[in-house]
Amino acid sequence: MKRAGALVLLVVMCAGCASSAAGPKAAPSAKKACTPTQLAGWKKLARRVHAPVYCPTWLPDPLDGVIGSRWNNIDAVSRDRSYLESWVWQETGPGAAGGELHVNLRGYPARTRIPKCVDADTAKRTLIPCFSDPHGVVRVGDIAATVYTVNQDADQWHVLYAWRHGGSLYTISEHVAPPLNYTKTRAYLDRILRGLVLVGA
Amino acid sequence: MKLTRREVLAGAAAAALGGAGIYELVDRLGGGEAPMRKSVGRMGAAEQHALELGVVEHEGVEVVVPPLHHRLVTARVAAEDPRAAQRDLETALRGLEEQFDPTTPAGLGVTVAWGLPYFERVVPHQAHVHLPVDRRASVERRKHVLLDAIRFPSDPEETVLERNDVAVLLRSDIPAHVSAGAKELFQDLDVFSITSVRTGFVGGGLPKRMATAAGIRGAELIPDGAQLFLGFTSTQKAALGPRRIANFETLGYADLGPHSYFRGGTNMHVSHLFEDVEAWYLNFDFRERVDTAFTPGLDVEDNAQTVPQGPPDVAHEAQVKRTFRDTGRIGHSGAIQTSSRLQRDVIGDDGTLYKRGTAIPQRADFDTLDNPFSWSSDPVRDAMQAVPAAGVHFVVFNPTSDDFHRNRLAMDGVLPDGTRLPLPARARGQGFNSVLRTTHRQNFLVPPRAHRAFPLAEL
Repeated sequence: MKRAGALVLLVVMCAGCASSAAGPKAAPSAKKACTPTQLAGWKKLARRVHAPVYCPTWLPDPLDGVIGSRWNNIDAVSRDRSYLESWVWQETGPGAAGGELHVNLRGYPARTRIPKCVDADTAKRTLIPCFSDPHGVVRVGDIAATVYTVNQDADQWHVLYAWRHGGSLYTISEHVAPPLNYTKTRAYLDRILRGLVLVGA
Repeated sequence: MKLTRREVLAGAAAAALGGAGIYELVDRLGGGEAPMRKSVGRMGAAEQHALELGVVEHEGVEVVVPPLHHRLVTARVAAEDPRAAQRDLETALRGLEEQFDPTTPAGLGVTVAWGLPYFERVVPHQAHVHLPVDRRASVERRKHVLLDAIRFPSDPEETVLERNDVAVLLRSDIPAHVSAGAKELFQDLDVFSITSVRTGFVGGGLPKRMATAAGIRGAELIPDGAQLFLGFTSTQKAALGPRRIANFETLGYADLGPHSYFRGGTNMHVSHLFEDVEAWYLNFDFRERVDTAFTPGLDVEDNAQTVPQGPPDVAHEAQVKRTFRDTGRIGHSGAIQTSSRLQRDVIGDDGTLYKRGTAIPQRADFDTLDNPFSWSSDPVRDAMQAVPAAGVHFVVFNPTSDDFHRNRLAMDGVLPDGTRLPLPARARGQGFNSVLRTTHRQNFLVPPRAHRAFPLAEL
């Protein structure tokens, strides 16, 4: 199962950090401005991909939206300038003692079509949409984000919001895993969306 | 006041018989919308299993509307005198029929079925003579129509193969009728010792509402109004066998023996499966859910719940093999149809012409929040948990146990011609199997109504 594989990966990546991790509580609502520490990383990313990027002013605690922080397990830019920034917190343990928070922010500069992913679950390995099963639209300011419930690769088992801006496609997604359920994940994504700040190149 | 262990167990079983626990939510949630049936149908025929239920048209497809509420109680025979017990049980069943109309889902449908342990232990000599023999399955040695359950390739090792004496299926649109029937037969009547109580529901908007109220992960993604947790309707009229087709005698699968004692009877398979609702809706998009539940590439409307399953829609072995070669997948319905649909026209024992493509099994499955049962007399063996879990109590009537086994093997990619499609157990391409986990199985014999109480005990 992809999920089991992803969990193993997360455990490895988060080894040693569980003991100092705070619980998965929502942080107090922040002003809609990224901190200088956050901004530095996002500006650098915008320059790297030659396109505006979205800086999250709020992520569920302890995730911090700082590129290069201890929770930022993926900071990747592809040759086509698409990027993936991922923050993950995981606490192993039974029941309420365990849990995981995993948020991805992606951008696909100069592209608005939904990308294709390899279907790793069948022998044929055909290409399938990376985001599918739309479940309505969430509007915040000038963002109209389509909600996708079936997603691939690093967004598998996530709920994902996708929107277009300035000829590019952007997404945020969060893993539906304890301590969150689908409803709580949607609430967190709504809050992340409300807190996004566009950072120019 | 101190209760003995026996009293505590009896009290818990009584609560389960009455539909206590999570199922009390049914009342708070409105009990499900009363099904509208454009034809009324008829229950209470000579066959116990054949409920002729009304139909509606949903998304342009004729759909049989099953009773909303189901309870299945399994037990051991506790009575020492089977003949006296036969009289007592028949009297109780007739009493229920006087109290609740057995001919309509607004009343109460009761199906009494018997396991191999009953025939082997209580009436062994009579069973040797009168149990029908399965002609198709008796190639190498004589096999009865009733067989012990087996584990299938996609079943986990821990699937429990049960050995209950009896199972009673109670069905009604009114939950209080189901509870009253269960109490009458298992609490007020002293012939059985209960081994499990299993409760659930079908349709009426209940699957999503009950799962959401119970906190089932992924419940919010179940389509509103879905008949079952997995979002698709399963009781298309064309997908269910017509009334007598599942009888032992109809298709000629069984030799009924010297006096045809069990004419009008059938085989009932009962299993419990957990369903990973969250994985189903977060890992399978609608297209893949259709491919998985029916046949890869099947053309259906977006977000359809009811998909035509008539004879023209039936998949055949060559098609299933070709689709597997091209896509690496088999669909659930498509694979099963290679075994569960008539491969040629058949004139039945009663003179009825059953056309090629006609369905043979009659499904009576229901969604559940049992984990895995509402109550068990052996909670350790049955791995009983207090928290609700999404699942299905799969109940189906086939002409023989072997016939069910053939269908279930096809679901795993073992086709009637012996072809074994190379699918790992519970692979994502193997139909529903990657989101199902079977916990229990058993086959039962459903006698005709005339012999429903302690069959063969009078001989």
